[in-house]
Amino acid sequence: MSALGAAIAFSVAACNNQTGFSGSVGNTPNGPPLASYEILGTAGTPFTATASDSQSSWTFQGNVPLSIVICNNVMPASIVVTKTTSNSNLLSLEIISGNTITGLQSTSAPFGTVSLQVGGTLGSISPHASPDLRIFVAGPAQERYSALVEDSTAGWIIGTRAPTLILFDLFDNPSAKVDGTFYGNQDYGSFNLNMTLGGVVVATVVAGPNATIREP
Amino acid sequence: MKDSFVHRVARGPIIPLITVICVLLAGAGPARAGKSAQVEVGFVGVPPKSESGTPLYQDVLLNVRSVRINPNVDAAPGNAKWQSIPVPPAIGGKGQNADLQIDLNTSQNIPQLFNTAGVQPGTYRIAELVLDSANPGSIVPNCPLAPPLGANNDGCINYPIQLSANTNVISVTNSGPGGLIQPGKGKTTPLILQVSMAINSAPTTPGGAYTVTITLATLPTNPLGTVTGSVKVNAGSGTASSTSGKFLKLAVTAEAIGTNTPIASALVKNGVYTLELPAAGGPAAPGFGTLYDLAVAGGADTYAADRLVPLYPGQQISKEDFTITGSQKLGNITGTITDNCVATQAIAGATLQLLIPPNSIASPSSTFCLDSPEQCVAVATANTDNAGNFPLPGTLSIPPAFANVPPAPKSNLNSAYAMEITAPGYDPLIVQAKPGSGSSKKGGGTCAPKDSPAGTTFTACNLALNTGYISGSIPIIPPNPGQTTLVEVFAEDAGTNNIVSALPSPVSVTNSNKGSVSFTLNVPTALLPPASVRKFDLFATTVDNYQGVSDPYPGHTIAVLSDVTGPAEPSAPGACSIVTTAFSADQTITCVGHGSVAGLVGNADLGTSVVLSKEDALGNFVQITNTQVLNQSPNTGPNNLYSFCAPADTYWLQTVQMPTPESSVTPLVAPTPEPMATPTISVVIPTPPSAGGPSPTPTPAIKCPTTCSTNANGTCPGICNSVIQGL
Repeated sequence: MSALGAAIAFSVAACNNQTGFSGSVGNTPNGPPLASYEILGTAGTPFTATASDSQSSWTFQGNVPLSIVICNNVMPASIVVTKTTSNSNLLSLEIISGNTITGLQSTSAPFGTVSLQVGGTLGSISPHASPDLRIFVAGPAQERYSALVEDSTAGWIIGTRAPTLILFDLFDNPSAKVDGTFYGNQDYGSFNLNMTLGGVVVATVVAGPNATIREP
Repeated sequence: MKDSFVHRVARGPIIPLITVICVLLAGAGPARAGKSAQVEVGFVGVPPKSESGTPLYQDVLLNVRSVRINPNVDAAPGNAKWQSIPVPPAIGGKGQNADLQIDLNTSQNIPQLFNTAGVQPGTYRIAELVLDSANPGSIVPNCPLAPPLGANNDGCINYPIQLSANTNVISVTNSGPGGLIQPGKGKTTPLILQVSMAINSAPTTPGGAYTVTITLATLPTNPLGTVTGSVKVNAGSGTASSTSGKFLKLAVTAEAIGTNTPIASALVKNGVYTLELPAAGGPAAPGFGTLYDLAVAGGADTYAADRLVPLYPGQQISKEDFTITGSQKLGNITGTITDNCVATQAIAGATLQLLIPPNSIASPSSTFCLDSPEQCVAVATANTDNAGNFPLPGTLSIPPAFANVPPAPKSNLNSAYAMEITAPGYDPLIVQAKPGSGSSKKGGGTCAPKDSPAGTTFTACNLALNTGYISGSIPIIPPNPGQTTLVEVFAEDAGTNNIVSALPSPVSVTNSNKGSVSFTLNVPTALLPPASVRKFDLFATTVDNYQGVSDPYPGHTIAVLSDVTGPAEPSAPGACSIVTTAFSADQTITCVGHGSVAGLVGNADLGTSVVLSKEDALGNFVQITNTQVLNQSPNTGPNNLYSFCAPADTYWLQTVQMPTPESSVTPLVAPTPEPMATPTISVVIPTPPSAGGPSPTPTPAIKCPTTCSTNANGTCPGICNSVIQGL
């Protein structure tokens, strides 16, 4: 699909999500805009992190940079990130809402820890997400893409860059199926998507510049 | 810190002040038409000073959005000649709003590099520092001496700053004919800006803002050192090709010695390169010196590397020349990293490095980097994704380093590279690796165990790392009902500051956790010769909130436990060991509130740092965190300061010293700091009084508005105490 086509599809989807994006899931109403959690700094710096909203929490490992989005994020939410290397690499944690950085902490300490909250005070870390469904989006570094991801109750528009870890809070609807369609620009190259459920890869898609992944 | 002591700088005092951003990508990225010159921006910090010389601020942070330059000192904001140097790609990137946070405290002596970007050649007379207009920065003050900061203002917490000039843009000009800088075509020109902050007024309420004035200046002397040389590319016998269809640009990258951390990168143009690098100075010439490795990679060429003699400010290492061979058939190395104890469990975030001997090693053996990886240089790095697959994709125009690997030298055992794989909590693994010609995510390249003899059949690089487990419990006074305390546990090699593991997720402690909190931690199992057993020191800290927002420093005591004998190495895949232990009752984690200790250090240089330790029940010291000695000569008004924010408790302070690099001597390995002959000093940070602290509120609202509640009745720590202790 051309960039223009993607833009049109994206804009239409943003209005009412009536484009049949989901295929297997059906039309879903738009979910609220999502904040993204950006783990930035010296490229390649490894970390471990725990994100939590008021219903569920997720633990994950990765390398800088990584964007994290929680679909069906029930505020307030928090994230704690610990560098897992004994060097002076920078690790910066930023929360971005819309086009604004609403929170920022960074550390250069060996195994330094940073944490942020958004949407109020989260009194406690919620139980581990159940089911724990995630989509990991790999693609050309630094290139922005847009996506519509949805469960059976709502769809969320995401505009960020790879790599991205998309987490789903299915606390209220544990049997919901999830899918997502990802749009790169014409020169984007390929998405490499994998969907895990409880830590087990249940779907993998390599396609570009657009790609769709569905929960089996 | 190693734990919740955010903003604390790193252990290595030579490089640590250089916040390392991947300028490699910036340097190799596409420049717009006409932007044939490069500008490398860095900052030197001048934090607010107290009249008495005592350190007042733990962190002085600015959120930098970009730096822009213009030939005309009167250029309007919309002038077309502004050239912008944005935050680096790993921070920002296309269409991405992001800030790079710089610390004026830790960049007082050695510049913190910001980014390198293409600009049009010319003479630039104005430079502007653009801060985040909504959130320009923050200050973490130490705990107050008398009188306190404000009526109810605690220390060791974040306070926002408000700019007195009511603009987020700060400028410096030079209207002379030479201007500030004159970047030339094909050259990289440094622009090091001195950023000073003065306090106009302190906040009067918790969470209030400091009103500050920020000024910008250039430096009278060059704080960088220069490395120059040539790269001669001999004609190869083959045809240049790449499995990815793309080639990296040939570049020379400076890395912190013994690491894969890039500091700066320069493209090779017309067979030559120039690197401008931060260098540690001092009161007398030539200075302390900074140690670097150089890695040459790119094109369709073989790799090369070298380890350098110390680099000094304003000085040059020249004739750092390399000879490589072109027209190589580039291959890729791909595969998967898993846990050898839990079948199919992927290890996300593992790091892989290809190592080669530096030119400074004469006639290395065929197994040199397999046997002595610490003496080798990383020329390519990759990481695993959440499924354990490597490498991660590159950019549109720049393939990942592991997708552009030339054949290894035939003089190497099996004509293979030494590839090192590391992950926290796991034993490092070194294998022989050969690039392959496949393009499959999991099918490129082959590997063999480190000790495989010549002629071994290589297989796919699906590798497993060994680990073991320490399981234990820590006594804790749980939080009040409805509240949670997050506990993070770290393991370091016994008697050192070398952290090797942390819990993947903090343990969540609620009021129902009566008495103790349990944990299980991955740790490495390989012995560290000559020791016959591997021992670890453990410490546990908390991740706290202060008035409902993230607290940069914990308010609970830190629990320590020394000399825990680690688990044995796995006897077979899946046959992994676990040891159990318990922290003693005197290490109970409890809410005590913030505290700080600060002072001056005698006879310090840029290799000096201070370690904060805590004594355990066995009488052993467990190292918790360290800090550099800041604001040293030749700065104006040097005072050799150190400071820590740490919860109220009894600690021990020890100065440690990195050996001064010998000029004109190339070290074999990265030096390590050693304790100085000065005595270890005990310091007591008094507990803040509960009286005078904020009043608790009834549940289910926040029980205590400050960092934590002291006990079941919810009294709150008051304003914290600071201790001044010279060393």
